[in-house]
Amino acid sequence: MREVLRFTPRSRRQLLRALIVTTIFVIFLAALATLFGITILQYTLAGFRLSSIVIVAAIGLTVIYGIRGFANFAYGDLMTLGAYVALFVNMNMALSLVWGAIVSFVVLALVGILLEVLIFARLEGRGPVPPIVASVGVGLIVQNGIRAVATTQQWIFRVPFIPEIPIVPGLGFHWIRDLGTVAVGLAFMISVHILLTYTNLGKAMRATADNLELAKATGIDTKLVTYAAWAVSCSFASTAGVLLGLIGVVSPVIGFNVLLLVFAAVIVGGIGSPYGAVLGGLVIGLSQEMSVPLLLGLGASSAYKVAIPFIVMIAVLILRPWGIAGRPPPFARRVFFIEKILDAIGGRPGAAQDAERESGG
Amino acid sequence: MGVPARPRTRNERAGADRTAIDTGILTNVGFYVYVSIVFALLALGFNLQWGYTGLFNAGIAGFFLIGAYTTAIAITPPTPPSIGYPGHLGGFSLPLWLAAILSMAAAGSVAALVALPTVRLRADYLAIATLAFAEVLRVVAINWESVTAGTIGIFPIPQPVEFNPPSAFLNAMVKVAIGAGVLLILLVVLLFMTESPWGRVLRAVREDEEATMALGKNTFLYKLQAFAIGGALMGLAGWLFTITINYIEPSGSFAPAITFSVWVMVIVGGAGNLRGAIVGAFAIYGLEWLSVQLKDYAPRELKDTIFYIRLMIVGTLLIVLIIYRPEGILREKKRILR
Repeated sequence: MREVLRFTPRSRRQLLRALIVTTIFVIFLAALATLFGITILQYTLAGFRLSSIVIVAAIGLTVIYGIRGFANFAYGDLMTLGAYVALFVNMNMALSLVWGAIVSFVVLALVGILLEVLIFARLEGRGPVPPIVASVGVGLIVQNGIRAVATTQQWIFRVPFIPEIPIVPGLGFHWIRDLGTVAVGLAFMISVHILLTYTNLGKAMRATADNLELAKATGIDTKLVTYAAWAVSCSFASTAGVLLGLIGVVSPVIGFNVLLLVFAAVIVGGIGSPYGAVLGGLVIGLSQEMSVPLLLGLGASSAYKVAIPFIVMIAVLILRPWGIAGRPPPFARRVFFIEKILDAIGGRPGAAQDAERESGG
Repeated sequence: MGVPARPRTRNERAGADRTAIDTGILTNVGFYVYVSIVFALLALGFNLQWGYTGLFNAGIAGFFLIGAYTTAIAITPPTPPSIGYPGHLGGFSLPLWLAAILSMAAAGSVAALVALPTVRLRADYLAIATLAFAEVLRVVAINWESVTAGTIGIFPIPQPVEFNPPSAFLNAMVKVAIGAGVLLILLVVLLFMTESPWGRVLRAVREDEEATMALGKNTFLYKLQAFAIGGALMGLAGWLFTITINYIEPSGSFAPAITFSVWVMVIVGGAGNLRGAIVGAFAIYGLEWLSVQLKDYAPRELKDTIFYIRLMIVGTLLIVLIIYRPEGILREKKRILR
């Protein structure tokens, strides 16, 4: 654990940057609160609540994205499955929800390994599209299987009733809904950091995600690493699903409804980077919830808030396709796409020279 | 496949022409044929994008929605807001052919706009970005009540031909004829396009984009064109859907499930050839239509779950086909150069 305490110049720089961003954010919040009244902070609270769920899910999704190289479209439905397993334990076995979450954590880890063995191992090396198609198939089976077995009815977890604590009128605070989700999100972030930095398995996972062939050559059992990645990914999905059910209701589409948010978080943060997933989750969750007062101020319906994360995502895709925290590919140019458009129109002088230089290099 | 899953022929049979029992089943089959043609158009558009060019579009439902709403707004007579109905933008009463051009233009230009930033991305980014685009469009369609009438949807959309004693059978046959005509014309046009040098470049982009670039082709422009034309075809599918269904609403008909079922159709039929897309559309929509027909005969405990079981079958088909027969039933003709 000595490594934590040793400050390298890089970690010092990162820490400084994080401090600056946090300070700006706090000042921004303070400005908002003084301008529009303190109740505006309820949207921030909702944003943090959503963020912590999206972060847990996005870490899980990005782990498998990094190692297996495909977008798992079944992830939303795996979250739903996790919520329903917990619901089953919570209702039919009359145990506390904590036990439900633990059982569903283990069950979903097994489901993940099963998916790899049965389906996705057979699609290795066939490019990104076939696994996407197969994962949509898995999603359809899981979602409609849940509908067929548990009906489309909405359920609520059995948790002890705790009233909301009002801080000021209009701004409340709930132990489970607010503190619980944020605490679980933080705990998962820290445990992932420990897993990836201080354990051999985590180091092997990072190596495999970085370069599969090289990892194999160094003697890493990449098959085992892939199973571990699936287990981590799907068990994170189960916890995210339980949290989703906790702040709302449990229904067959809860996971699918946030799937695109999770994807947006993964892309904004940079695919394959768990730290990026944390940043992306924060950006996505906060931007969605905190856009509500803005939209209401503009006279638009607050239902449009779901569009905001995607606008952020598209902006990131245009300006920085490798994400906020991702590593740029060796030959990436900053405004590649604008150049392409200008090339297509044929209006940019010097396009020919550029092309020549590229083919030469 | 959340298309108005239950054809309303039961009520029509009971109400309009109780005597014409023998045409009832034909009306029903006609419904199957024209909805299949709608899906065939969607599948042809997706086939041009993915089968020929390798652009994996996950926002099919979005372009479909644009075409459908453009048509609905263009051809409906004025509908003032009333109690229980918020009204919608419209009242232009345009002819059908003009609506077809409008919806193709609308969907095609939106597709080009979506393609500009996304088409250069890897297949998985493209899929996520287009899926997000389609979902945002659906949210807009649900919430922009002054234009789309919200969740209530736009209705009634006039029949293509009004018969004097209203006849469900004749209406169905007219729609089948329109659909078949459009499909035939499109097949000829697409055959020419894909066999032309232009189509050859598209296939080259799919096989090896860098090699095509090295041959001096502007692959970005080709991908943009393929995506826009594919989007325009989906817009045309929206047009056909609107004039044949007479009623559109945003929640079910344009859900991501539509996109997924079009994928199944193209994968089942075989990507990269025109017949495959059409065969796939008729086969997979046939599955849905059969499940609707069987609903009346199924045992009671299965009645509610039969739709879910159908979607589970679709999911299983996707997985099994992509693993064991990714080239589909009708595989793309191998072209060998000598």
